[in-house]
Amino acid sequence: MEGWDPNTKSTLTQIPLLTVKAGPRDGGAWTQRLKEEYKAMIAYTQMNKSNDNDWFRISAANPEGTRWTGKCWYVHNLLKYEFDLQFDIPVTYPATAPEIELPQLDGKTQKMYRGGKICLTVHFKPLWAKNCPRFGIAHALCLGLAPWLAAEVPILVDSGMIKHKDDAASSTET
Amino acid sequence: MDDELLELQRQFESAQQAKSSIRLSERNVVELVQKLHELQIIDFDLLHTVSGKEYITPEQLRYEMVSEVEKLGRVSLIDLADSTGVDLYHVEKQAEYAVADNPGLMLIQGEIISQHYWDSVAEEINERLQECSQISLAELATQLHVGVELLTSILKPRLGTMVKGRLEGGQLYTPAYVARVSAMVRGAARGITVPTNLSALWSSLQHLLQEMDGASGIAVEGSFFQALFNGQVKEGQLLGSLRAGVYWTPTVFAGAQKECIDSFFSQNSFINYEMLNKLGISQPVQFLQSRYPDGLALVNAFAHPSLTEMVNAAVEDAIERGSWIDSLSVLPTSFGSQDASKILSHCQSLQSALKSQKAFIFGDSYVFSHTFVKDVYDRIEKEMESFNVSGSTGMGLSDDISSRNNDRVSHDSSTSVEANDSPSESSGKHAMEKGSRKKRGKASGNTKTVIVEGTSDNQDYVPAKSKKNQKKSKDTSSLHVSEVKSGARKDPRSQEESLNVPSEEWVVQQIMTLFPDWEEQGIDDPHTILRPLANHLRPMLINSLKEKRKALLTENADKMKRILDDLQRKVDEAFLNLQLYEKALELFDDDQSTSVVLHRHLLRTSAAYIADTLFINLDIYNKVKSGLEVENSQNSELVSLSPGERIDLAKTFRGSMSKKALAVAEVLEGKRIETFMVALRDFAEESGIVLKKLDKKLERTLLHSYRKDLMSQVSAETDPVSLLPKVVSLLYIQFHNKALQAPGRAISVAVLRLKDKLDESAYKILTDYQAATVTLLALVSAATGDEQDCSSDRITTKREFLEGLMPQLKGIVLTPSQP
Repeated sequence: MEGWDPNTKSTLTQIPLLTVKAGPRDGGAWTQRLKEEYKAMIAYTQMNKSNDNDWFRISAANPEGTRWTGKCWYVHNLLKYEFDLQFDIPVTYPATAPEIELPQLDGKTQKMYRGGKICLTVHFKPLWAKNCPRFGIAHALCLGLAPWLAAEVPILVDSGMIKHKDDAASSTET
Repeated sequence: MDDELLELQRQFESAQQAKSSIRLSERNVVELVQKLHELQIIDFDLLHTVSGKEYITPEQLRYEMVSEVEKLGRVSLIDLADSTGVDLYHVEKQAEYAVADNPGLMLIQGEIISQHYWDSVAEEINERLQECSQISLAELATQLHVGVELLTSILKPRLGTMVKGRLEGGQLYTPAYVARVSAMVRGAARGITVPTNLSALWSSLQHLLQEMDGASGIAVEGSFFQALFNGQVKEGQLLGSLRAGVYWTPTVFAGAQKECIDSFFSQNSFINYEMLNKLGISQPVQFLQSRYPDGLALVNAFAHPSLTEMVNAAVEDAIERGSWIDSLSVLPTSFGSQDASKILSHCQSLQSALKSQKAFIFGDSYVFSHTFVKDVYDRIEKEMESFNVSGSTGMGLSDDISSRNNDRVSHDSSTSVEANDSPSESSGKHAMEKGSRKKRGKASGNTKTVIVEGTSDNQDYVPAKSKKNQKKSKDTSSLHVSEVKSGARKDPRSQEESLNVPSEEWVVQQIMTLFPDWEEQGIDDPHTILRPLANHLRPMLINSLKEKRKALLTENADKMKRILDDLQRKVDEAFLNLQLYEKALELFDDDQSTSVVLHRHLLRTSAAYIADTLFINLDIYNKVKSGLEVENSQNSELVSLSPGERIDLAKTFRGSMSKKALAVAEVLEGKRIETFMVALRDFAEESGIVLKKLDKKLERTLLHSYRKDLMSQVSAETDPVSLLPKVVSLLYIQFHNKALQAPGRAISVAVLRLKDKLDESAYKILTDYQAATVTLLALVSAATGDEQDCSSDRITTKREFLEGLMPQLKGIVLTPSQP
C-alpha cells in the first residue's frame, strides 16, 4: 500500500469491500455487483461529507450502469477548480480497472493519455489486481483520481494551463 | 429494473446532494482570531494555552487561579501553570495581580498562600503544641517548607489567640511549660549557696528536662533559662548579684563570706590570702585593703597593725637584752620569712636600731642585736686565733687551714657532744645537717660558697676527716698511707680555689659549738639563722686571717724549696753511682745469665733506692705544697718501699706524672737497667728534677772516691762473708776501672773473670775463700732453727777458717794497689 499518503490509505480502508465478482455481461450477477458498488459509493460519499472533503458528483449515465458521468473539483488557494468526469466499465471488469477520463484537461498535461484518460501511478495496477473482486468504483476514485487531482491541479494552475472560471470570465471581459 | 438498485441509486443521489458538514481547520481558526484582533473586534488580551489549542482571557486565568488557591489554600505557581495549561510567565503575572487585588493572599517563594491556610496551620500547630508543650520553630518551618522568619511573622499575630503559647528563642512553649521551667530555674537558683557559673547550672537543668521529657524533649536553650532567671532576679524572687552576665553570687554566700573573714580577722588579727581564696575571693589583697584600710598587706597574709606592734615590742626587748630573736617565732605559723621581713620593715624600734647599727636582720626574719653579734665575732676570732697559734707551733708545718679547721671542728664538736651527753644522736645530726646544708647552699647558687665544689668532694670530705681523727689518736703507718692518699686526692681543687679561707660551714659550726643553746630554743634548723650570721661574720674573719696567711705562705715556700734541693742532691749522688755501676755491667754482657743476675741486683738496690727516694720526697713535696702536714720527712731516707707501696704512691701523683711514676715502678720489676734509666729520666723530667750525666772526669773522681771508700771498708771489714764482695769489687776497680755491684750469686762468675788478671797464688786464695764462703752460707741457711745442732759448730769452724783467710785476702787487694 506504499505510494499513497496516509490520508488516502486510511480513507481507502474505510470504504466497504465488494464481494461479487461479475462484469457487465454477467446479467443478474452484475446487478448484484452494481448494488454493492452503490453501497460502497454511498459509504465513501458520506465519509467525504462528514470530513468536509466532498470532491465529486457522479451518476450512472445508462440503466445498465456501464457508463458513468459527473463532476470533480479541487480547491487550490481558496479557489475551486471543477472538471467534467466520465468513464466506462470495461467488459473484463472487475479484473480490469475502469479508465477515468477528464476530457477538459485533454492535452493540457503530460500525465494523461489521449482522450483525457489519467495516468495512474505504477502502484495502482498491482494493488487493484491483488484486490480483484473486492475493489470497486469507489476504490478506483479514491486511489486513482483523488491523488491525481491533488498532484496535478496545483501544477496546472501555477503553469497557467488552467484558469479559474471567475478569472477566465474576467479575463474574457477585459 | 431492480427496486433495490433504484433505491440504492436514489440513496446515492441523496447522499451526494446532502450538505457536507463545514469544518474549519485550526489554522483557519487561528487566522480568524488574528483577523478579529486586527479588526478590533476583540479588543482585549487573549492568552493561549501551552498546547496552543485554546485561548483564554487573563480574567478567566486569574479566576481559575484564585479558585484553585481557595480550594487548596496553598498552591505553587508551577502547579498552577500545569493545571491551567498556561505559560508560567502569564501565571506569575496574573498571580501578582491576584495577590495585589486580594489581601487574603500572599505570594511567597513561588507559592500563593491564603490566610485560611495559615489559620489552619496555626490550628495544627496549636494542637501539636498542646500535645508536646514545646515545639521548635525551625522544625515547623522545615515541615511547612517555609522560612523561620516567615513562620514567626505568621505566628506572631496568632499567638495567644489561635496558638496558645509563648515564643522564646525560636521555640514555642505552652504557658504551663514556661511556668514549670521557671519554677525549676527558681528552685535551682535558690538552692545555690556558693558562687556559680550560671551556664553550668543551665546545662544541668537542660539535662534534667531532657530526662523528664524523654527522647521527644527538645533541647531548651540556655538563653531561655537566662531570660526567666533575669526576670526573677528583677522581680526580687532571687537574691544575689550577677557578674559578667553569668557569674551568680547569692546574697547568702556573700554574707557568709564577709562574716567568716570578719570573725577570723578580729580573732587572729591576721588572715591568710589562701583562706580568702578558699572562700572564693579571687583578689584578696584588694578586697582586704578596701575593707580594712589600716591593715598591712603582706606576701601570704594580711595583718592587723596590732601584730606589727607585737613584733615591734619583741624586737625591742631582744635588742635591749643584747640577744637575738626570730620574728617568725612571734608570728603565726602560717607566716613566711618574706612576711616577717615585711613586718619587720614596719617596726619603728627596729628601723631606728638598724639606722644606729644596733641591730642586724639576717635571713629575712632574724633580728640580732649588735652586742650579740659582736660577742659571737669576738669569740670565734679568739677561737680561730688560738687554734692558728697551736697549729703552727705544734706541728711545725704550715697546713691547709680549711682542713685543719675541719679537724678542729670535728674535734670540738665531739668534745661538746660529750659534754651534752647524747653523743651518737647529735653528732649524727650534725653530720646530716651539714650534708644537707651544703647541698642547699649549692642549689641556691650562693656565690660566696667557696669550699663546696661538687658532690664527689662533699662525699670524701667526711671520711677524710674521720681518718684524720683516728690518726690523731693512734699513728700507724698504714693509716698514714691512706691518709696521704685521701688528702692528695682531695687537695688539688680545694686548695687552689679556697685559698684557705674559713668556710661558711666552719663558721656555722663554730657558732654552734660556742653557743650550743640554739637547739634548745626550739629552732628546727639552726642553719637557717646561722648561715646568714656566718656570712656576716666571715668577711671579718677572713680579714683577720689574711695577715696570718701571708706569713704562712712564705714559710711554706721555704719548706718546699728545701725539700726540692735536698731531693736533687740525693738523686744526683745516687744517680751518678747508678751510672757508674751500670758501666761495670758491660763487662758481663757476653755472659747472659750473669748479666741478668747483675742487672736485677742493680735494679733491686741502687735503682730502687733512687726511685724510692724520688717517690717519697716528691710525695712529701706535694703534701707540703698543698699544705698537708708531714710528720717526719727525715725518716723517708731510710724507708724502702715494697713494689705494691711504690705503685700506690705512684698513683697518688697528678696526671702524666702518675703515669710516668707507674712506669718507673714497673720497670723496677724488670731485668734491664737501661729501661729503668729511660723511665727514670722521663719521670724526673716530668717532676722537675735534673739528672746529671756521667762524664769522664766525674767518673774518675767518683771511681777514685769509691775505691778509697772500698779500701777503707775492706781494711775495716771484720765479717768474713761481707768481705768477699767488697774485695771482688775492689779488684774490679783495680783491673777494669769499673765499679761492680755484684750479688752473692754473681760473685763466683766475677771471681772466675779475674783469673787471668791475678797471679796464681792470689787467685787461689780468692777461689778458696769464695768456696769457703759458699759452704758457710750453705750451712747457715741449712741450720736455721735448731742451734744446738752440730752444724753450728761447723759454722763456727768454717767462720774461723774464713777469718783466718781474711788477712790474705785483704792482702791481695791492698798490696797490689800500693805499687
